[in-house]
Amino acid sequence: MMKRIPSLQLHKRFILTVLLLAVFVWSLTSIHWNSELFHAGGIPTMLQIVEGLIQPNVEPRILLVGLESAWITLAYAVAGMSLAIIYAFIVGVLASGTLTSSNFSRFISKVFFRGILGFTRSIHELIWAWLFVAAVGLSPYAAILALAIPYGGILGRIFADMLNDVPKEPIIALKAAGSSRLQTLFYGYLPLVWADFISYTMYRFECAIRSSAIMSFVGLGGLGFQIQLALADLKYDAVWTFVFYLIALVILVDAWSHWVRMGLTNHKRIKGFGSGWMSVLFATLLVVGSWIYITIGENARLFELLSEKNMEYAKKFFGGLLGINQENPAFLDAESWALALRLTMETLEMSIMAIGFSTIVAFITVIPAARNIANGNLTLKKRWYNWPMFGLIRLLYIFSRSVPELVWAMMIIFIFKPGILPGALALALHNFGILGKLWAEVIEDMDPRPIRNLATAGASKIEIFFYGVLPIVLPRFLTYILYRWEVIMRTTIVVGFVGAGGLGMDFKLAMSYFDYTQITLLLLCYMILVLIADFASETTRKAVK
Amino acid sequence: MKKWLTGIILFMLVFSLAACGQTEDKTTEEKEANKETKTEEVFKIGAIPDQNAAFLQTGMDAVAKQLSEETGMKVEFVPSVDYAALVTGFQRGEIHLAWFGGLTSVQARNLVPGAESIVQRPRDAEFKSVFITQEGSGITTLADLKGKSFTFGSESSTSGHLMPRYFLTEEGIDPNTDFNGKPNFSGSHDTTYKLIESGSFQAGALNISVWEAAVKEGKVDTNKVKVFYTTPDYYDYNWTINSNVEEVFGKDAKQKVKDSLLSMPGDSKEITDFFQTDKFIETKNDNYEKIEKVAKELEIIK
Repeated sequence: MMKRIPSLQLHKRFILTVLLLAVFVWSLTSIHWNSELFHAGGIPTMLQIVEGLIQPNVEPRILLVGLESAWITLAYAVAGMSLAIIYAFIVGVLASGTLTSSNFSRFISKVFFRGILGFTRSIHELIWAWLFVAAVGLSPYAAILALAIPYGGILGRIFADMLNDVPKEPIIALKAAGSSRLQTLFYGYLPLVWADFISYTMYRFECAIRSSAIMSFVGLGGLGFQIQLALADLKYDAVWTFVFYLIALVILVDAWSHWVRMGLTNHKRIKGFGSGWMSVLFATLLVVGSWIYITIGENARLFELLSEKNMEYAKKFFGGLLGINQENPAFLDAESWALALRLTMETLEMSIMAIGFSTIVAFITVIPAARNIANGNLTLKKRWYNWPMFGLIRLLYIFSRSVPELVWAMMIIFIFKPGILPGALALALHNFGILGKLWAEVIEDMDPRPIRNLATAGASKIEIFFYGVLPIVLPRFLTYILYRWEVIMRTTIVVGFVGAGGLGMDFKLAMSYFDYTQITLLLLCYMILVLIADFASETTRKAVK
Repeated sequence: MKKWLTGIILFMLVFSLAACGQTEDKTTEEKEANKETKTEEVFKIGAIPDQNAAFLQTGMDAVAKQLSEETGMKVEFVPSVDYAALVTGFQRGEIHLAWFGGLTSVQARNLVPGAESIVQRPRDAEFKSVFITQEGSGITTLADLKGKSFTFGSESSTSGHLMPRYFLTEEGIDPNTDFNGKPNFSGSHDTTYKLIESGSFQAGALNISVWEAAVKEGKVDTNKVKVFYTTPDYYDYNWTINSNVEEVFGKDAKQKVKDSLLSMPGDSKEITDFFQTDKFIETKNDNYEKIEKVAKELEIIK
C-alpha cells in the first residue's frame, strides 16, 4: 500500500497537517503568555509536590488505607464492567441487526440501538455518576451504574461492529442448514467474534480502573477519595502514596490484559490447565468477590434503587433539570446562552491545546520508546544508551497515563492560576503517555526495510526520522491524534470541576447552587461539543485514509 | 479455547444475577424488620467538610457518641466530600441532623420545607470572616486586592465565600473581574490559609473561628501570614434538623436532640476543640434572612 502514494493523497495529508497545526496555534492565542500564568507561589508549591513524589508517605496506617481503597476501586471497576458486558451484549446484538429479518426492521433497530449506544457513551462517566448520585443517593450502585453505562456503550458499539464484520460464508451455511436466528447468533456469530471482543474488553478494563478511581469525586469511596482528602489537607506525600497504588493497580491489570490478549491472538492451544483457564478462574473470583463485597461488605442493595422514595427524588430531580415550575429556566434565557457559548468556546480551545501539547511531547519522545529502535533492529545502530532511554520513556508513559486527568488537574491547579491552561496541561499530561505508547507500537509494526536502506546509505538519526519513519507512520499518527482528541473532548468537562476552567467549572458551581436549569444548559453545550468533535474527527480520519 | 470464553460470559452473567437476587431477598427481610421496630433506624448526622477531614471526624464522632448516650438512639456520623453533597443527603432525608454553614442551611431549608435551624454557638450570632495575606505583600485594605491573586474557600461556604464576596462587592470590587485571574475556590478554610502561607495565592478569606484556632494551635506561621481586614458581624453556622425526624424517630425525638445539643460540650474535650466553644444556644430560621437576601443578591440562590 505504501509503495505508490498518489500525489493527491500526499497533498491531502499535507494540507490536513498544516490545518491541524493552524488550529493548534489559534488555540494558543487564547492565552496571554507571560510569567503571570503561575501563581506568585506556584513554583514553591511545585517543589513541595515534587518533594512528596520523591519521598512518599510510607506510614503503615497510610499504606493500609491505600490497600483498602485500592480494593474498593478494583471492586467497583469489576462490578461496573460486568454490568457493562451484559448491557453491551444485549444492546450490541440488537444494534448489529443480526436478529432481525426484513431490511426495514433491521435498519430501524440499527438506527435506534446504535443511537442508544452512541448517547450513553458520549457522556463522561463522572457526569453519569453525578446524575445517579442526585437521583439515587450515595450508593455504590451509583458508581457501578455510572461505569457500566458509558463503558457498555463503547463495548456495545465495538461488539455490533464486530458482528457486522464477520465473514458471511459460515452464517449462510448455518442458515442453509435450517438454524434459527438465535441459533445462528450463538453458533455462527459469537464463536467468530469472541476472541476479539474479550481482548477489547480487557483493554477497556484498564481504563475502567482509572474511571473507578475518580468516581470518588462525587462522594463515593476508593483511591480517588483518599487522593482528594490528602490534597485538601495539602499532604502531598500521602497523595503520591495513593497515586502509586493506583499506578500499581493499572500496571497489574495492564499486564494481565496483555497476557490474555497474547493468549487469544496467538491461537496456540495450551494443553491442560493453561493460562486461559487461570484467567477465567481469576476473572470469576474477581467478579464474585467484588459483588459479594459490594452487596454484603458495603451493604448496598440494588433493590433499594427502585424504592418509591428514590423514584420520587429522581422525578423531582429530572423535573428540576427540565425546568418544570421554574420561572426563568436558564436554557431559555438568551444571556445565559451567550455566557455558556463563550465557555463552550473556551472548552474547545482547551481540548485543542491539550491534544497539541500531548502531540508535541509524544513526538519528541516516541523514537527512543520504540522497541525495534532500542534494540537497533530498525536503524542497524546500537548505542549503550538505547535501552536505558527506552526504559525511562516507557516508565514515563505508564506514569503519565495511569494518573487520571482529574488528579493531574487537582495538583496543577496549585501551580497555575485557574483558567483553561491548567486544564489543558492536565489533559495533556494524561494523554501524552497514551499517544506515545500507541505511536511506539505503530513504529514497532512498520516495515523495516526502507529504514534499513536509509541507514546503510549513511543517513543520520534525524534524517532517518524525517525521511524514513515519518512518511510511513504519519497517517496512523494522525488517526490516533484525532481519536484521542475525541476522548479529550469528553473529558474537558471533568477537569473543569476542580477549577481548571471551561464548562466544567460552571457546571460545578451550578451543582453547588442547585441551579438545575443552568446544569441542563451546560450539559446541552457539552453534548454539542462532543457531537462536533465526533463528526470532525470522523470526517478527517476518513480523509486521511 | 471456545469453551472458556463461554465460561467467562456465563460466569459473569450467573454471578452478577445471583448477587442481585441475594440482595433483593435480604432487603425485603430487613424492610419487614424495620416496620416492626422503628427505633432501630440509625440517626445520621453530617457536617460540611470545611476543615481538615480527620479533625472533623474526631469532633463529630464525639457529638454522635454524646447524642446517642443522651437520646438512646443509635447515632452515626456520615462524612461527605463537599458541601453540596451534604445538602443533597439532607434533602433526601438520609441525613437527619446537620452542622451547616449559614448558606448551606438556607439552601437545605429551601429544599426541605419543614426543616429547622435549632441550635448554634454564641459566636455564630456574630460571626466574622478574616481576609489574610502574606507578610510584606503590601495589601492593607480591601481596595488593595485589585489585581492580586485571591482564593475563597468552598463556593458553598458562608464565611469563606458568600459574605467575603458580599463585603468585597460593597467595597466596589467585582471578584469575577477585578482580581489577577479568576478567584480560586480552595474547598476548605484550612486549605485557604495553607495556600496563602505557601505563597500559592496572595490573599484569601476564611472563617474567623478556624483562623483563631489555627493561630492558637500553631498550625499557621503568623510571621508569614497576617490578617488585614475583619468583616462586620453576620449569622453563620447552626445545627439544622430534618423535617422527617419526628416521623421516623417518634414525637419527642426532635426535642430530645435539641436538649442534648444544648447541653454540649459538657466535659468532652473533642467537642470543645472542634467547635471552639463552651456552650450552645437556641436559634431560629428567621435569623438567617439576611444570609438568604445576600445570597439572592449575589445570584447564588435563585
